[in-house]
Amino acid sequence: MKPAIAVPNLKGALDTALAAAKRLAPAAAAFVRLESSRDANLRFARNEVTSSGDVDEATLSVEITLGRRHASSDTNQLDQASIEAAVSRAIGLAEVAPEDPEVMPPLGAQHYLQAAPGFDAPTASLDAAARAKMAREAMALKPGEDLQLAGFLEHYASRELLGTSAGLRADHQDTGATLSLTARTADGTGSGWAANVSHRIGDVDPVKVGAVARDKALKSAKPTKLDPGRYTVVLEPAAVAELLMFMLFSMDARSADEGRSFFVKPGGGNRMGEKIFGPHITITSPVGDPLLPVPPFGMDGMAMAPLTWIDQGTVKALMYSRYWAQKQGKTPTGIPRGVLMAGGTATSEDLLKGVKKGVLITRFWYSTPLDPQTLLTTGLTRDGVFLIEDGAVTRPVNNFRWNESPVQMLKNADALTKETYRVPGDFVTVRVPALRTHEFNLASISDAI
Amino acid sequence: MGLTRRSVLKGTGALAGIALASRAGLADARGLLTDPLLEEVVDRALGAAKKAGATYADIRIVRRRSESLFTRDDHIADVSANENYGLGVRVIANGAWGFSAASQVIPEAAERAAQIAVEIAKANAPLLQRPVQLAPAKAAVDVWQTPLERNPFKIPLAEKSDLLLAINGALLKVPGIKHCFSWFQGLGEWKLFASSEGAHIEQDIVRIRPGYTATAIDTASGEFESREHDLPPSQAGWEYVARSTLLQDAPRIGEEAVQRLKSPSVKPGKKHLILAPSNLWLTIHESVGHPSELDRALGYEANFAGTSFLTVDKLNKLQFAAPHLSFYADKTTPAGLATCGYDDDGVKTQKWDIVRNGKFVGYQTTREQAGWINEPQSRGCSYAQDFRSFPFQRMPNVSLEPGSKDLGLKDLIAATDDGILIYGDGSWSIDHQRYNFQFGGQMFYEVKGGKVTRSLRDVAYQSSTPDFWKSCDMLGGAREWEMGGSFWDGKGEPGQVNAVSHGCPPARFAQVNILNTSRRGDRK
Repeated sequence: MKPAIAVPNLKGALDTALAAAKRLAPAAAAFVRLESSRDANLRFARNEVTSSGDVDEATLSVEITLGRRHASSDTNQLDQASIEAAVSRAIGLAEVAPEDPEVMPPLGAQHYLQAAPGFDAPTASLDAAARAKMAREAMALKPGEDLQLAGFLEHYASRELLGTSAGLRADHQDTGATLSLTARTADGTGSGWAANVSHRIGDVDPVKVGAVARDKALKSAKPTKLDPGRYTVVLEPAAVAELLMFMLFSMDARSADEGRSFFVKPGGGNRMGEKIFGPHITITSPVGDPLLPVPPFGMDGMAMAPLTWIDQGTVKALMYSRYWAQKQGKTPTGIPRGVLMAGGTATSEDLLKGVKKGVLITRFWYSTPLDPQTLLTTGLTRDGVFLIEDGAVTRPVNNFRWNESPVQMLKNADALTKETYRVPGDFVTVRVPALRTHEFNLASISDAI
Repeated sequence: MGLTRRSVLKGTGALAGIALASRAGLADARGLLTDPLLEEVVDRALGAAKKAGATYADIRIVRRRSESLFTRDDHIADVSANENYGLGVRVIANGAWGFSAASQVIPEAAERAAQIAVEIAKANAPLLQRPVQLAPAKAAVDVWQTPLERNPFKIPLAEKSDLLLAINGALLKVPGIKHCFSWFQGLGEWKLFASSEGAHIEQDIVRIRPGYTATAIDTASGEFESREHDLPPSQAGWEYVARSTLLQDAPRIGEEAVQRLKSPSVKPGKKHLILAPSNLWLTIHESVGHPSELDRALGYEANFAGTSFLTVDKLNKLQFAAPHLSFYADKTTPAGLATCGYDDDGVKTQKWDIVRNGKFVGYQTTREQAGWINEPQSRGCSYAQDFRSFPFQRMPNVSLEPGSKDLGLKDLIAATDDGILIYGDGSWSIDHQRYNFQFGGQMFYEVKGGKVTRSLRDVAYQSSTPDFWKSCDMLGGAREWEMGGSFWDGKGEPGQVNAVSHGCPPARFAQVNILNTSRRGDRK
């Protein structure tokens, strides 16, 4: 399917914005960011299609800095008059904004590492008929299966184009495709979920996603009661990633240095260099790794270097903004756009081995922080919770509310799968293994199915 | 489940003569619209949809504006002004929905979007078991605006930043307060809705969100606690901020953050729980608002937001709450964040019961959904967050009626021997069928022998929805009924946000499970 009408000239829009800034406020520094995307999707529920859409949009953001004053403005109207109006609005606000002693000038030209290929033409051009075909395959039931299927297929193609008055230029295109599917038994006692995520639509297998979700739904039907308590748990990748994010987003160096985070060292300073986890825990943000196709620059255009956050259990890096890095004499890291938790040596079956009594968890839901100091988080299990006895899955059990921290999850982890998996997510591209951990606090029963 | 899709619509597909009718009506309305190009955009979209085979079509042209100020300690950290404009065309063709959107509001883009929407609908129709049927709705021609005195987009930046920085100054004067943040956000949503049935509705909605938080730090122990002000966002102008006590409250809010840090940790167990409206609104949102969404109850949100324990067989049967509790839904209460004149199906907004005398009696519906439960008309709950989003069922304001006795928080405290009192919203989480929930708060107090004795920390309450609402044994009266609310009610795939308010009086709940959320020992 073709875009709605003429594709906007992004480079032209970038030049127009920078030229307008120079003309309207010669003393100003300007940062311009353009994002253009086509997003299309198909939703289904109760074994039929429900809604579907296809949207093209391009947005221009401009940040103007005048000495210590700064302000930003954005618009999705890319004609010359609208771009100039957005620039003019940012200048007008910057002129009257109070001074910000922490303002940083826009970056100059950067040297970027080679990004891993993240653009796939078939993903970008997928049309309504192709989406409908994939949905049909995902929704196919085997004879005799009395299941209700709900799911979401989405794909996008996007481009980021950045420029500053100091000479920075960055340009990156990528694509993405996700299919997720929830199968529920007709009697409402069983539910299973599965998903595929890739930058290539060809990697998304609707037959396989449907089969895994349906199998889980059928096996999870009529769960038996398991009391709350601290259990050994085997967490599938979606659960691992969801809890892990609460720790990663608290790794801001400034919050730690100012005394407002888990990474505070009592008495002052942060916990950089401290060995907090076991030797099998390594978390990185690579650049150019085909497993994790992400742009080689941050949202502000800063060149991203490969970073190791946790190296064999030791905190090796915290996130430094440009301002805080300058103040502390450190190298800025920016905010990572991809996170890879290294796998271990186990297979999925190995994670069950030796577990006398434990719980296998498919994914989490409504996770929310309880205490930023300890990173204690609460949330629930859903779509497939099973009892493990003597190394094997024996029966489905009820859902739980859990109260646990990502730190304890990683500290108590003793086995990780060799394979890592990309999981659905909006802001950061994430790849993690499945893992086994101990003393996980399944705090109360949830009657939800 | 009692689900039917009986045909409730007569005459869908009657497109002829519609555009003329709407224009004649609009001439009588007090229109905000001045750009004649938009009329052509509307006509081209609806005409192209019909030509391509749509039996129903609508177009929304939406302009969203936001202005945000964010401060950190003694300085401004961010000032931004954003605009987003475009059109979304929604059609029914061969019984299926199709949708397409474009950011260029020109006739050619409108026509192309309509064609793509029909193409999508036709591609999806073979995957449909029951064709979409819309409940009848009067094709309104009208204009609706947020009543406001001072448009926040016309208030000088200095007035806003001066207030925020004055608040920060007052917070940082409090001994023990090391950091603070304050913010202001204004959101403007202008939209024109026109349908193939002749609706032509223009609305201009303004919402604002002021606030701040203070953080107390004990460097020696590495411990910290924060306290956020309880003032909720509102559908209002700058006068809401100007008349508030945000600045006057800053010393107290700072002192309360310090107090939190020094407070003893709560002893867990079952206790009476007294909730101020600043806390209870969020519990209503999660445990009454979401489960009474009809699409959830029927499985349409199963892959993301989840389903609901309030299944259709429970309608008019389930005793949801104690008999003295009644909850109503509405999109008409002044200042409510979800309040407007018409929903995004073009249905006039209204007020109706969700729970009456403890019994579950009503769902939230759209035109598509009304027939699913044999209701003749939509409750007017369709909403799309912006031009590029597909409208679907979103939560109206859902509120708890005040009790018949003139009771206030003081009365609830005086009647309590052993309890916990909570102000403000903290952490929140609820399962995907809306049974098991756990909520925190901003300030926690021990109540002993009818008096507030001391502040506490590390408090959360956990319960199951029907058990919790049945345990309500004291309800405040109209005098202390207040609205809380959020800009960030999330639902759907792709995810959309909805702004919504919830009113309630203070209330007491008997023997609720109180948790201690401290894991400070785990930091080592």
